[in-house]
Amino acid sequence: MFDWNIIIHYFPFFITGALLTLKISILSLLFGLIFGLVAALCKLSSNPLLRWPAVFYVWLIRSTPLLVQLFIIYFGLPQIGIDLGPFFSGVLGLALNVGAYNAETIRGGIISVPYGQTEAARSLGMNAALAMRRIILPQALRIIIPPLGNNFVILIKDTSLVSTITVVELTLTAQRLIGSTYKPFEMYVMAAVLYAVLTSSASLLLTWVERRTRTEARRS
Amino acid sequence: MTSHSPDRTQSTMLHINNLQKSFGDLAVLNGVNLEVAQQEVLVIIGPSGSGKSTLLRCVNHLEPPTGGEIYLEGVLINDTTKSRRAFESHLNRIRCEVGMVFQQFNLFPHMTVLENIMEAPIQVLGVKRDEARQAAVSLLDRVGLADKMDNYPCMLSGGQQQRVAIARALAMKPKVMLFDEVTSALDPELVGDVLRVMEGLARDGMTMLVVTHEMGFAEKVGDRVIFMADGLVVEDAPPQEIFSAPKEARTRQFLAEVLK
Repeated sequence: MFDWNIIIHYFPFFITGALLTLKISILSLLFGLIFGLVAALCKLSSNPLLRWPAVFYVWLIRSTPLLVQLFIIYFGLPQIGIDLGPFFSGVLGLALNVGAYNAETIRGGIISVPYGQTEAARSLGMNAALAMRRIILPQALRIIIPPLGNNFVILIKDTSLVSTITVVELTLTAQRLIGSTYKPFEMYVMAAVLYAVLTSSASLLLTWVERRTRTEARRS
Repeated sequence: MTSHSPDRTQSTMLHINNLQKSFGDLAVLNGVNLEVAQQEVLVIIGPSGSGKSTLLRCVNHLEPPTGGEIYLEGVLINDTTKSRRAFESHLNRIRCEVGMVFQQFNLFPHMTVLENIMEAPIQVLGVKRDEARQAAVSLLDRVGLADKMDNYPCMLSGGQQQRVAIARALAMKPKVMLFDEVTSALDPELVGDVLRVMEGLARDGMTMLVVTHEMGFAEKVGDRVIFMADGLVVEDAPPQEIFSAPKEARTRQFLAEVLK
């Protein structure tokens, strides 16, 4: 009893929703990378003024649900005068969330580079920042990319939660169409199919990036 | 002092005064005093755990000493009166003048041989790319690896990697070179090539501190040998003396073990 006609009829709405999901994913991915890198470097810093805020941030995000984080940003912050609107609240919430997970991934990659590399760099007169940028991070990147990719696939699926703060992305598109068509099965299946297309494309892209960094490093 | 011939006692390159280092409760250096003249080759021998490597690593401050002073051409290296920032840049300047070669080579695996050597001169000293490249090529020639310049470190043997590491340190035009058991991780047949490069360096007048278990090298290339035990310099003598007629019982015992 699957009604194909209704899916074809409403397909343009799904494409619009999926494009917004993609846009939110890409923006959160970018900011999530920046948050993650900064937090990872701060957590590794010997300066407690950098380290403790980063530790607190990662702890706070990882010990609370994403849905509650989104509600605090969208419903809570306006009460103290910060109104970002649904779209930017969603992007900020997702970016802060994935950033905390990225921070742990990036930190793990950095500390897995043998300490002898840092010593060699420092013995050549490089300061800590230069050694990190030119010697440690490029090597850590190879280790970081696969788990980072995982975080991003999870991020794409998590974007469905911003439907609860009135962002009309893929999930809320489906819900709205159900409201007028009373066809929940078709609509949610269609949404699921489009999520699968998005996450699988991201996975394929990541496999390609992984293969490229591996041949570039040419390390046994 | 008026002569221009390489007089090896001419002036002091490195002066170490009452150097101490402990890791927590474990005292590794218990007051080391040492003078190294310009162009001198000082070989440091001793049982494992005697503090040889730690002594080297204190010189370029990879290990911060717990006490005492180290002077490079009269400049105090571990100058604790400086502010944190000033001390950091002071250290980076010192490290440009003190080259180090490690037991595990520590080449940068994501860079080619040539890039490994050019990296610090370009990034730290601000040398132009072409100049850095030229210098790197001639250094590779000097260590006998000019044909490997575009290879990645993983494609080289241990001995070749170590010679690249020496070239990488030399690219900074250091005043002193520190060698920390640089042949200990190598297959026996690869040791000779590395030692020959070091011998050439010594002949060209480089000031060198060499921690090694290669007694043949110590005898042939060293100007002076110190024997360390329990974080102290136990004996300090020319190689002929220390190998043929060691004064201290501990030195005799150690040499009997390693020369067996």
